[in-house]
Formats: sequence, structure tokens, C-alpha cells
Amino acid sequence: MAGVLFVMPSIVFLAAFVAYPVIDAVRLSLLFVDFATDETKFVGLANFAQMLRDQKAPVVALNTILWTVGSLAGQFALGLGAALCINRDLPGMQVIRTILLLPYVVPVIAIALFWRWLLDGSYGLVSYLLQAVDILPPNQSPLAIPDGAMVSVIIANIWRGFPFVMISYWAALQGIPEEQYEAARVDGAGPWQEFRYVTLPNLIEITKVMFILRLIWTVTFFDIIWLITRGGPGGATEHWPIWIYQESMGFFRFGYGAALALTLAMALMVFSALYFVLSRQGTR
Amino acid sequence: MTARSLLSRLTVYAVTLLLAAFIGFPLLWMLISSFKPSAQLFVSPPRLLPTEFTLDWYRNLVHQSDAPTFFWNSLVVGMATTAICLVLGTLAGYAVTRFEFPGKGIFLVSALLSYVFPAIVLFVPIYMIINSLGLTDTLLGIVICHTILTFPFALWMLRSFFAAIPREIDEAAWVDGASFLRAFATIILPLALPGIFSVGVFVFVLSWNEYLFASVLVTSNAHKTIPLGIAEFITSFDVRWGEIMAMGTLATVPVIVLFLSVQRYFLRGVLSGAVKG
Repeated sequence: MAGVLFVMPSIVFLAAFVAYPVIDAVRLSLLFVDFATDETKFVGLANFAQMLRDQKAPVVALNTILWTVGSLAGQFALGLGAALCINRDLPGMQVIRTILLLPYVVPVIAIALFWRWLLDGSYGLVSYLLQAVDILPPNQSPLAIPDGAMVSVIIANIWRGFPFVMISYWAALQGIPEEQYEAARVDGAGPWQEFRYVTLPNLIEITKVMFILRLIWTVTFFDIIWLITRGGPGGATEHWPIWIYQESMGFFRFGYGAALALTLAMALMVFSALYFVLSRQGTR
Repeated sequence: MTARSLLSRLTVYAVTLLLAAFIGFPLLWMLISSFKPSAQLFVSPPRLLPTEFTLDWYRNLVHQSDAPTFFWNSLVVGMATTAICLVLGTLAGYAVTRFEFPGKGIFLVSALLSYVFPAIVLFVPIYMIINSLGLTDTLLGIVICHTILTFPFALWMLRSFFAAIPREIDEAAWVDGASFLRAFATIILPLALPGIFSVGVFVFVLSWNEYLFASVLVTSNAHKTIPLGIAEFITSFDVRWGEIMAMGTLATVPVIVLFLSVQRYFLRGVLSGAVKG
């Protein structure tokens, strides 16, 4: 009985501020909300139908995919490489490990603004270097070019996200029993074979879990793009969360915004479910 | 040392130093820029190291902007969020590792789901709840939102800390005649304190850094948190880079210091698989 009492405050909190909003999001997505009069009208699935006809939908979806694939590829590549390095017990490694973890706590707003400062067309250091080697015309910022802006926000997101991947891989590496390596060496394995047949197999489980978590958090990550480009230039970095935000807070189309949000949530749920089924089959 | 292991050591150092530069350079650049006088800040090509330093940008922040208010608000919101999260999370985290009760499985699954659930999907309904409670543009409204964001994470991390404390310790206390609450407060809580402290730090950092909910809820300068305050410097008519770099530095230093103080526990939390990115 004591257990229930201890948990009760949490249950009440989660019910009021998580469960209820979920239901409310579904309700909102079926409504048309008149911003001026605050009146609502039930419109059924009209918001979803409008989304399917919206010419913006495929563009935003493509941006979302580019953003996600680019961010995840960079984060996992750097994360795994860094983890293998910091796992070596060399002098100074503790300090390096600490430095590599810093992005984990740096405020996104700070990341966004020093990124914009580095990329400033007139005074930014990175822009200057790109201009010096003629990749960019004088006084141009990469953020003013559609592809440049997308690459820039992806790099910023890799900067922020790879430490999480690194530290998770590092934890998994720490958990590999030394005997497995010894056994491999007894069997005459070289460094590459040790990596291929001992290290990699031990990282599969963590990769599976981390992939789906990072995927969900990357697809839905709003702050960094919003604070660097606001979705621009010309919608080039507008991914799904920014679209949701614009419709809801920019145009006050709460019903349409909710429909977009639910679509994203459902897409992620379906993807996660498929992913778990398939990855379970894979291990069998 | 063989030539091969020397080579592999060099490779490891080269890769990590490159990554450390990738991470460290932008942070250092922000710091350096915040001390550059405008004659050296706004030049092309950019100067790597300034020949003179200035505190003007910091002075401007203190005397000519609402920055002190933003810092105070972030501090209040962060501490209140941390307090609420820790009270709720400690009680629940302890209970789920010690007791069986109906609905425990469902509770844990729903906490896990809300841990994964993205804020961007729910921010409008949550905004509406806060609005109907009359709490828009108040610090309490932000505190509620930040608790929503951080509580599931706090619960999962606290659960792993309580799970690491053997049940036998509670049972011994109960046998000696201590009540549940007494055993919890006098024996278990002190044992779990380092873990609770580090969770508290992370909740505080997440709250300190949060932008989306605060931006939706707050309209008046008197209630803005740091991220909102800085964002204002960027979107305003002229971009005031000096003040922005100073404010970014001031916003970043406290969380880095906090992080360094609990790094040990953070790594333990990672090893138990309960960390949010």
C-alpha cells in the first residue's frame, strides 16, 4: 500500500500533464479553431486531408529526412570513432573525455549563436575561411544558401549530439569482458579481427536501442534549427517540427498544427514498432 | 613498445585531439569574442587573438539590458523544477524498486513512453492547459512545463540508483521496528543522496537550457529565462554580437561547472543506461 502512496503524486502529475494533453492533441486535430473568435468547429479528418493536399508536405518531409539522415550518420560515425579512442587507457584521456562531453550541457541557444557568429557573412571566422578558398563569394554566409544552411544546421547538430552516442558506446565497450579478447588472441586474431569478431558484435544491442532513441529525438528536435535559421532561407531547413510550430504559433491554426503533430507522432510510432519487430527477427 | 602500438597510440591521440578541437574551438571562440573590443570584433579577416581586452559587453548586459532579470528567472525556474522533480521522482523511484502494487507495470511503461515522447507534439495542448490555469506568462507555468519535460528522465535515473541499494538494508530497518517512512528517510535517502544530487543537477541543466516551452508561454520581459533573453538579442533589429557572446558565455559557464562537479555520477548513470540526450 505504501508503494501506491509514494507513486500517487507522480501518477496524478503524469495523468494531468502528459496523458490529458495526448488526448487533447487528438481532439484538437479534428477541429477547426477560429483564432479571432476562439470558436471551434468539428471538421472530422479535414485537417489531415488538407495536409495530404498541402504542397509543402513533401518538401518538409524531404527536409526532415535529409536532416535526420545527415545528423544520425555524423553522430554515429564520430560517436563510435571517439568511443573507440577514449576507451584506450592513455595518459590525458580523462581530460579529453571531459572535453568531448561538454556539448551535452551547453545550452542550445549558445550553440546556435556561436554557430551564427562563426558563419556570419562579414565577420564570421568559418565564412571567412570558406570565402578565402572561393567556396563562398565575398560577404556571403553559408546560412544564406539553401544547401549551405542545411549542411550548417546538420553540423551543429552533430556537434551537439555525438557525445551522447560516444558515451553510450563507451559504456558498452567498458562492459566487454577482457576474456573475450584474450580468447581471440589465443586463437591468433590480429587487431582487425579482434575488432570485427569481438568488439563489433558486442556493440549491436546498444546500437539498436540508441538508433531508435536518437532517431526520435533528432526528427523531433526543434530548437537548434529554429534558433539558427528559423527554417530558412526560403524554407530550405524547414523540417516537420518547424512546420508544426509555424502553423500553431505563427498562424494560430491549432487544429492543423495538431494534425501535423499527430501525423509525426504516428509515423514515429509505426516506424518504431516495425523497427522492433524487424530487429527482434534479426537476432533470432 | 612496438612500432605498431606506437602508431596506434598516435592515431588515437590524433583523432581525439581533432575532435576535442572541433568541440572546444567554438566554445573558446565565444569566450574570446566576448572580451574583444568592437574594433577587433568587427574586422575581416577575423583576428584570432585580440591585442586588448574589454569588459564593455558584460557591462552593457548588466547596466543596459534585462539580463540580470533573465538570470534570476532561470535560477528560480531551475531550482523549483529540480525540487518538484526530485520529490516526485524520489518517492516514485523508491516505491517501484521496493514494492509491488497494482498498475506498477503500466505506470513504468507510461513513464517510459513520456520519456521518449517529443515535446513538439504536445506543446499546444500543454500550452492550453497552462492557459486555462491562468499561468501563461508566469514562472510557475514554465516550472510545470519543465517538470513535464524532465520528470520521466529523473524517475528513470533515480530508479536505477535505488535499484543499486540492496533491499536487505530496508528489510533490516523494518525488522528493527522502523516504519516505512522512517526507514526511507533516515537510511535509504542518505545512501542515495549522491545519485539524487546528480539527477538534480541534470534536471537543473535541462531546465536552464530549455527554449521551446518558455518561448511559447512567456511574453513579458519580466518573466523571460536566459535562452529567451538571448534569442531576443539575435532577432532584434541589429544583431549585437558582443553582448550575445557575453551572454552566451555567462549562460554556458554555470552548466559546465555543474557538469564537472557531477561527471562521475553522470558516467555511472550512463553505464546504467538512463540518460537523455
